[in-house]
Amino acid sequence: MVSTLEPQAKIEMARKRRLLPQGMGATLPALILVLVFFVLPVVALLTRSFTEPVTGLQNYVELLGSSTYLKIFFNTFFVSALVTVISLLVGFPVAWALAIMPQRGANIVFGIVLLSMWTNLLARTYAWMVLLQRTGVINKTLMSLGIIDTPLVMVNNLVGVTVGMTYIMLPFIIIPLYGVIRKIDPMILQAAALCGATRWQAFRAVLLPLAMPGIASGALMVFVMSLGYFVTPALLGGTANMMLAELIAQFVQSLVNWGMGGAAALVLLIVTLSLYALQLRLFNAAGQGRA
Amino acid sequence: MTPFLEIRNIRKEYGPVVAVHDVTLNVGRGEFMTFLGPSGSGKSTTLYILAGFDQPTRGDIQLEGKTILDTPSHQRNIGMVFQRYTLFPHLSVGENVAFPLKVRGWSKADITERVRKMLSLVRLEGFEDRKPAQMSGGQQQRVALARALAYDPPVLLMDEPLSALDKKLREEIQYEIRRIHQQTEVTILYVTHDQEEALRLSDRISVFSKGVIDQIGTGEELYSNPSTRFVAEFIGDSDFIPCQVLATRNGRADVALGNDLTVLDIPLHGKAEAKANVELMLRPERISLSTKAGDRALAAKVEDITFLGNNIHVAARIGDRTPVSVRVPFGHEALSGVERGTPVWLSFDADAAHVFSA
Repeated sequence: MVSTLEPQAKIEMARKRRLLPQGMGATLPALILVLVFFVLPVVALLTRSFTEPVTGLQNYVELLGSSTYLKIFFNTFFVSALVTVISLLVGFPVAWALAIMPQRGANIVFGIVLLSMWTNLLARTYAWMVLLQRTGVINKTLMSLGIIDTPLVMVNNLVGVTVGMTYIMLPFIIIPLYGVIRKIDPMILQAAALCGATRWQAFRAVLLPLAMPGIASGALMVFVMSLGYFVTPALLGGTANMMLAELIAQFVQSLVNWGMGGAAALVLLIVTLSLYALQLRLFNAAGQGRA
Repeated sequence: MTPFLEIRNIRKEYGPVVAVHDVTLNVGRGEFMTFLGPSGSGKSTTLYILAGFDQPTRGDIQLEGKTILDTPSHQRNIGMVFQRYTLFPHLSVGENVAFPLKVRGWSKADITERVRKMLSLVRLEGFEDRKPAQMSGGQQQRVALARALAYDPPVLLMDEPLSALDKKLREEIQYEIRRIHQQTEVTILYVTHDQEEALRLSDRISVFSKGVIDQIGTGEELYSNPSTRFVAEFIGDSDFIPCQVLATRNGRADVALGNDLTVLDIPLHGKAEAKANVELMLRPERISLSTKAGDRALAAKVEDITFLGNNIHVAARIGDRTPVSVRVPFGHEALSGVERGTPVWLSFDADAAHVFSA
């Protein structure tokens, strides 16, 4: 068995090696574009964090030594985690419904999800401001119904950022989850029911573990995107819960401090890449266990 | 005495479509009952209603005298093996079999003990730690069987569990299912469209057609005494020869085939008066073939001869239209000198014949 497989595997590998440079040719224009307009400027920015105003690590010492900046780091993680968790809680039922709906209905709902993703980001964020502000639709309705006397504060604070960002992130959790859940045979859940599992037990012991790859990739995507998000926190958030992207923008635009801006960007990049590496590792380990 | 499992006037409508048409059926404790029929005949729908995946439009199902329709699936305590492989792919074989016991709150020691016992029942000792994806289709269905029987359900439902397997493996597992049925004495309701499988496994067979049960009986009863043309066609091979009724009495008929051949006192199914055009059903192995003209024989012409191992299948045609299959044991002298186009005379044993109204 092994002796017949091995030459086969070698041929496969040789064929792939030969194909690789050919495939690379097609990606060359894109690679050049990325190199010139992305890699070089980013490297330049990050380099300035070690060279401005003088060569050394003083930017990092300042960034990681100050309680103000640490609070912004903490807040960034906190908001991102909160948005990820809420997106999962809201997105999972949607993905599940999409997966078990008749195709026509699923196409419509999926269209709505995509449409919200394709609508201009600023337009959507301003729409939330209209809804959430002191004299917004929500406050007016609640007050006219007599449920509240004074308007709720829902913008320029944690509520505004969380609501706005969750809404924007939802498609990024629904799409991968839908892909994974759709592949689960509904008969498996019926089998679980006949085995005596309640809906909750079937969900916990069967559906959730089988949907885990989708949950993991969706959650990572949302968390990482949230870490670097700028527009929504800037418009719907308050100064009390500033996020890292806002800090970077402030360093570069208001303070013209490229060194500190670059340092903050590098910290963000390192955190993001480590999270990605961690997920790859966990996911691969789980994959090997399954095979 | 109330029967063990009683299906009473179950009807299932999907909008204007009636999938199951007032099905009534009793199953005894420990019986192996097969629902046999083509796809869309209502057999699977009836099984799904038993499983609780579907509610009947009306009718009742009682287990030991108590209705089960108001009990949700997960409380019915019924075992089921599905057509597709429905093992939990993220759990090992042992964990799959343990699943129904775990949700029932069994102790760890009891679960371990029972899982071992069930895997030995399906002859998969030592496979506890395998994942379903590492096993063949046949092995997976055996694990599914172990999982479905782990909690000693009073009834085991099987929905075409072997349809995804190849013929050789199917026969092997049919034998296993028989052995397990004898060993556990569980009552089994088995759905299939394969008559051979039904005959091999069942104590009794319910033949489904277009949402109704045409006939219930042992394989032998269905074969030797089919009550409808559909049953006659579905169980075993059959030939239908057009003929005309001469007279009827007490559910039996005298019929004329052509001008000079009459057969008397054949069981008549359905309504037919004298002169009515009906069909005479014969089994291919009860027809004999000769190259010599006989006075009580039908003239036919051989169209094809197929070697089927122990049998030779001869396709012949009576007159211009009526095709007939004849089965002759391999090596039988009747076939010497017979080839395509040879004129032959067919005679038959009237004991095995039935008349069906058209």
